[in-house]
Amino acid sequence: MTGSAPAIEVKDLSVGNGVVTAVRGVSFTIPQGGRMGLVGESGSGKSMTALALMGLLPMGWSTHGSVLHDGVDLVKQSDRAFSSRRGRTISMVFQDPLSSLNPVRRVGEQISWVIRRHTGADKKAAEQQTIELMTQMKLPRPEQLVRAYPHEISGGQRQRIMIAMALACYPQLIIADEPTTALDVTVQKQVLRLLNGAVNERGSALLMITHDLPIIAAMCDTVAVMYAGRIVEMGPVQEVFRNPRHHYTRGLLDSQPTMDNIALDGSARLVSIPGMVPPLHNLPTGCAFNPRCPAATDKCRTVMPELAGEGLQAACWHPVDSASEVAAQ
Amino acid sequence: MTDTASPAVAAASPRRRVEINASLVVGLVLTVGFLAVALVSFFWLPSNPNIPNIKARMLPPFLPDHWLGTDGLGRDIVAQLMVGARTSILVGAGGASIALLIGTVGGLIAAAYGKLADETISRGADIMLSIPGMVTALVLAATMGSGAFTTILALTAFFTPSFIRVIRSAAMAVLQEDFITSAKLYGRGRLFILARHVIPNIAGVMIVQFTLYFAAGILTEAGLSYLGVGVTRPSISWGMMLNEAQQTVGISSPLAIWPGLAIVFVVLGLNLLGDGLRDVLDPKLKRRSA
Amino acid sequence: MTAVTPFPADGRPLLEVRQLSQQYFLRRQKLFAPRPILKVLQDIDFAVRPGEAVGLVGESGSGKTTLTRMLTGVEKPHEGHVVFDGVDVWSGGEAHRRLFRRSVQVVLQNPRSSLDPRMRVGTSLLEPLRSLKIEGDHAARVLEVLDQVGLQKSALERFPHEFSGGQLQRIAIARALMPNPRVLIADEPVSALDVSIQAQVLNLLKDLVRDLGLGLVFIAHDLSVVAYTTSKVYVMSSGKIVEVGKPLDLFRNPSAEATQNLVGAVLSVESGLAGNALA
Repeated sequence: MTGSAPAIEVKDLSVGNGVVTAVRGVSFTIPQGGRMGLVGESGSGKSMTALALMGLLPMGWSTHGSVLHDGVDLVKQSDRAFSSRRGRTISMVFQDPLSSLNPVRRVGEQISWVIRRHTGADKKAAEQQTIELMTQMKLPRPEQLVRAYPHEISGGQRQRIMIAMALACYPQLIIADEPTTALDVTVQKQVLRLLNGAVNERGSALLMITHDLPIIAAMCDTVAVMYAGRIVEMGPVQEVFRNPRHHYTRGLLDSQPTMDNIALDGSARLVSIPGMVPPLHNLPTGCAFNPRCPAATDKCRTVMPELAGEGLQAACWHPVDSASEVAAQ
Repeated sequence: MTDTASPAVAAASPRRRVEINASLVVGLVLTVGFLAVALVSFFWLPSNPNIPNIKARMLPPFLPDHWLGTDGLGRDIVAQLMVGARTSILVGAGGASIALLIGTVGGLIAAAYGKLADETISRGADIMLSIPGMVTALVLAATMGSGAFTTILALTAFFTPSFIRVIRSAAMAVLQEDFITSAKLYGRGRLFILARHVIPNIAGVMIVQFTLYFAAGILTEAGLSYLGVGVTRPSISWGMMLNEAQQTVGISSPLAIWPGLAIVFVVLGLNLLGDGLRDVLDPKLKRRSA
Repeated sequence: MTAVTPFPADGRPLLEVRQLSQQYFLRRQKLFAPRPILKVLQDIDFAVRPGEAVGLVGESGSGKTTLTRMLTGVEKPHEGHVVFDGVDVWSGGEAHRRLFRRSVQVVLQNPRSSLDPRMRVGTSLLEPLRSLKIEGDHAARVLEVLDQVGLQKSALERFPHEFSGGQLQRIAIARALMPNPRVLIADEPVSALDVSIQAQVLNLLKDLVRDLGLGLVFIAHDLSVVAYTTSKVYVMSSGKIVEVGKPLDLFRNPSAEATQNLVGAVLSVESGLAGNALA
């Protein structure tokens, strides 16, 4: 796939329910076959962004801005047009596979239903493709497993079924929202590896939404860091994670408990970001991160910074590298 | 504590936004109006609703002495509606209260006292639910004679199993929370846990269910009285008024409209109140944040 | 502040289990057939000393949860002993059990679920003292504990839904500290929290071990979090303890297969950036 149009182009997306605005003017582009990570904590708006892209917002929530995908603006799509698109050109892997699979349908049926709905394949062909997909997902004995119900298989297997469903129709874009958070750690890597391989093979673009920085580092080329409904830093993963400009990104990276870089004696302390994520209905003025930021000045408390920079963009008045200069003033 | 990275953390600002809940307001207005009318009827009535007045039969509505006219025996409609409201409250609230009481005890026992108790109570409730309510009411009326007390008994038998089911599942959800585990770890007994932790957490469900079954009780009572197995004079019920109005259909049709409207508004009011309370009291809805 | 619990001079374990086994009966497969037995714990030896932080790691289904239930006295073992302060908990008499109850406290995974939403925080904090019938100046104790976990006095009048997850976990830790325990058992205490908040809670737990001389049992599935918090790690797999050691040693030279799996599962930003995280 070498189409010139990007897999998805989000421009100034806002999502709100009239009382609070969970996503406030988010813009990003994922090229065909590109892989972007969206990092944020609870309340950052990352999951609302995903649901808005999939047209799956809860009742009462609405979207503003534009989302260009496959030649149309998804924001203006009708529910019906959207549902013919989900699973075909854009698909999603959810956090909890048990609640996203239909408990009274056999897993094989659920996969082949997606194939038949979108490709018009007959029953036999769809079943054949289902077994191939399940084999590709390294599921054991797929011929028997197709007849299992979701509760009869393990969490890791269920998530692989979900990925198989999401990939069944070679979508242009796959959105994965915390796909391994509900899984055992030892299974996590295996599922990520399978997702990685399957996405690669299909040339689909990937939007990986997670709070887990190591997953982004392992799976994505670019990353956008969200805080309080806005993207505060965006750029190539290598640059953002090696030399973050925004103090929030810096704090997130520092608070990772890793075995490599801590002194494992009793006195070792993790760096933590003081304070807490502000509630959406009571955001601070200026930069939303200012109450927790070590480099905050009066400007940060009054004027909201916009994303700026080439390649690596950060929405910060006093980016990390220049923090020492600010302190010296 | 000398944790420099995390200074004393202030609690989040309480978010008590006053939300205007339309169904709650409308439901509250209708229900309070209904209760007020019943209350006033004890102190003041336009005329005695049980004494016939042959000279004033079948008067049309909107007269100065009889705002909504009179029935076939010349009895004032407004007076009858006011006394009927008392019956509705007595029977509806009576049936719903007793059912709530038994249902709460039964539901809590089923939820907290082991598999055997649960199976016994839940299956018993299933059996009771499988008997049609009207049949119970007719059998009770035939054996005990009709009247307010019999109707309350029939409603209780009719509503209790539903209450048991609702309370049981609400209590089970609470019992699975970790704060119950903590209470057990501190050596708290089952009764304490039910009283201090479970009941406060399901109180919202109980109140909502009560208003809904209060309304259902009024409807059922009207149905029974309409069939002639509910209350009898000198008590007055809206269902009874409907029944009596039937005899004059064609001569004066509006007679059936007034008790009908009364039932519609009161049942609607209670249902709206229940819906409104559900939104306000449900902690899960309150907790939801983006 | 009341006197810090003195360290026993001989450094003997405060809470330990010896040769502990537990089994459950499963549903009969056939009528009249004997009920199959599921051995969930086999010959477990485990100990925690005052001022020591011990980790317990393993995949789900490894028996961590059951062992936790044993350590907190919720379940009686089929074989073996749960020993607190040198005396068997299940045969040591009622007075000793009461002492055990107040001396071993638990912090659970999900702070939203571990506090009653209809109780003010102040009431929740007093609950352990009331139910364990502990005498003394309760109000002063509440203020002391609030200070230890870094919360303000104004928190007492509020309800749980007014707090963020990290604050709620502090409150849950405060509640566990109320009866002046000697062992704290933390069951996945940070896995429900945001990354930037996790560090705050982990640091707090570390401070408590150091300042109060508490024994800490830290149960988790994530080896890197456990390694940061504890000085000794027990690895569990299929109901057995398969390896014990210092976190760094386990991380560098895992010998048991379960440990190797856990170590292999750890993802880090560095390995991701180097491009070999999923290799």
